[in-house]
Amino acid sequence: MVIDKGDGAPDGGAGASPAGGGLYSDQHLRVSDAEREAATARLAEHFAAGRLDQAEFDDRAARAMSARTRADLSGLFADLSETGSPGVPGRPGGGGTPGGGPRGPGSPIEFRLDAASGVPTYLQLVQQVEHALRLGYLKPGDQLPKVRDVVASLAINPNTVLKAYKELETKGLTAGRPGQGTFIQATLSQVTLPELAGLHKSLLGWLGTADAAGLDQDGIVALFTSALRDFYERRGGTGGRRGAVSGETEDVA
Amino acid sequence: MTVNVIETSGLGKRYGSTWALHECMLAIPAGHVAALAGPNGAGKTTLLNLTVGLAEPSAGAVTVLGGLPPGSPAALDGIAFVAQDTPLYKNLPAADMLRLTRNLNRRFDQRYAEARLAELGIPLNRKAGKLSGGQQAQLALTLALARRPRLLVLDEPVAMLDPVARHDFMATVLAAAADEGVSVVLSSHVLAELERVADYLILLSRGRVQVAGEVDGLLASHRLLTGPAAEADNYAERPVVHVRRGEAQAHLLVRATVDDPIPPGWEAHPVGLEELALAYLREPGAGALPGPARSRSPQPSEVTR
Repeated sequence: MVIDKGDGAPDGGAGASPAGGGLYSDQHLRVSDAEREAATARLAEHFAAGRLDQAEFDDRAARAMSARTRADLSGLFADLSETGSPGVPGRPGGGGTPGGGPRGPGSPIEFRLDAASGVPTYLQLVQQVEHALRLGYLKPGDQLPKVRDVVASLAINPNTVLKAYKELETKGLTAGRPGQGTFIQATLSQVTLPELAGLHKSLLGWLGTADAAGLDQDGIVALFTSALRDFYERRGGTGGRRGAVSGETEDVA
Repeated sequence: MTVNVIETSGLGKRYGSTWALHECMLAIPAGHVAALAGPNGAGKTTLLNLTVGLAEPSAGAVTVLGGLPPGSPAALDGIAFVAQDTPLYKNLPAADMLRLTRNLNRRFDQRYAEARLAELGIPLNRKAGKLSGGQQAQLALTLALARRPRLLVLDEPVAMLDPVARHDFMATVLAAAADEGVSVVLSSHVLAELERVADYLILLSRGRVQVAGEVDGLLASHRLLTGPAAEADNYAERPVVHVRRGEAQAHLLVRATVDDPIPPGWEAHPVGLEELALAYLREPGAGALPGPARSRSPQPSEVTR
């Protein structure tokens, strides 16, 4: 299928796009609009990565748009080395591009949102970090996702993420390092097993009382959820190391 | 840091005998993603046009970016505006749209714009009119952000977009807010999406500002009480915004905090932003504004639509 002209083989290899190794090996063939567009897009990537300056880019983009054969196109890339993914790596001068670009070496965890849960967004983030700590996905020293990465991947307000990270810091679970990000500082204080068994037992006792009073399972859950919310609202937020206890109790329920 | 990106006093705009916007008092602080919500015809677009200098007030005054008159050179440099129908020259390729915008503005970050379009996979030689709806919106947004504005004003930016395009568009906007501290004011009538996006809410209803404030503060100062319908009218501890009642049970949305006492037999719940906004929009007479409350509800004869 691919017509290899022999002399063009190494050349074609050097200029080949990551999208397809042999794209330009049949150098004499006429190019389509789609190929011209793809070439322009790749030039823009080189430009974004700083391998082309403005004038060079404008010139090459114009040549790409008027290219007739594949040889014309591959010539545009002859002196450009292509490293890695087209993810605009190593952009100088900070001020990254908005949008969900590829993540660098980052955090072990990724946040998600459940819009139907009724739990405020910032609290969902807090709970997911606590959950990951309990399950061992996060350890002291691990980095949380950068604020702008969370913002870009979930399309949520930056202040929401900041609020969640502040709450985690208040709880003593994380610490911010200026210019670097937010890092896990502590593990969640686990309730000891005998303590947990005792709590479990007293809860069973309470469940018996509720059952005797005529509450069914849904009724018990509704009452418990309401009481739990009241308890923490009265205390003002979910502060302190007690966050761990609330999670454990939820598991029991 | 206490600069107001938009500040109005007694601002009004009249078209013929109709006040599209009336006695508008606002002070939106910098550093927020502010949502301007309200039903169709509430005056959202009118307010935005006044702030970017596309319309002249009929009454009162408006300033932007800490006291600048809208439309002044300094204001124009600092504000980027994307109008409702994502205005692009449909016959110009994306590359030419960039060149045009670069030449029409004192500041334009070409490198940013090119990188952004490459990341989005928008071909530079494709005519703007041939791009998908989501790509057109992203192109218009890229042109706006490449001007490196301090305030980004968006009029119904995602109304025409599919769910994925909406998400990506808002991700770009919010990342710009996170990266460069761009203040954002966007109008929308999609209440459900605002909760995660906005941290400042302005509710417009029939040409008037009904609610304005930080979302956290608004949510913390409202609660939903559920209890016996027979006692609903007796509740007088705190101002009631909106009542929904059945034969036996009633829900009251009240201005109260967690510290306010709950009458016996009633249960209190926190409210979400959508619920709060809906309650106010159903009660055009009610208001929640910083400072002294509005003295009277709007007269229907005054507001002809």
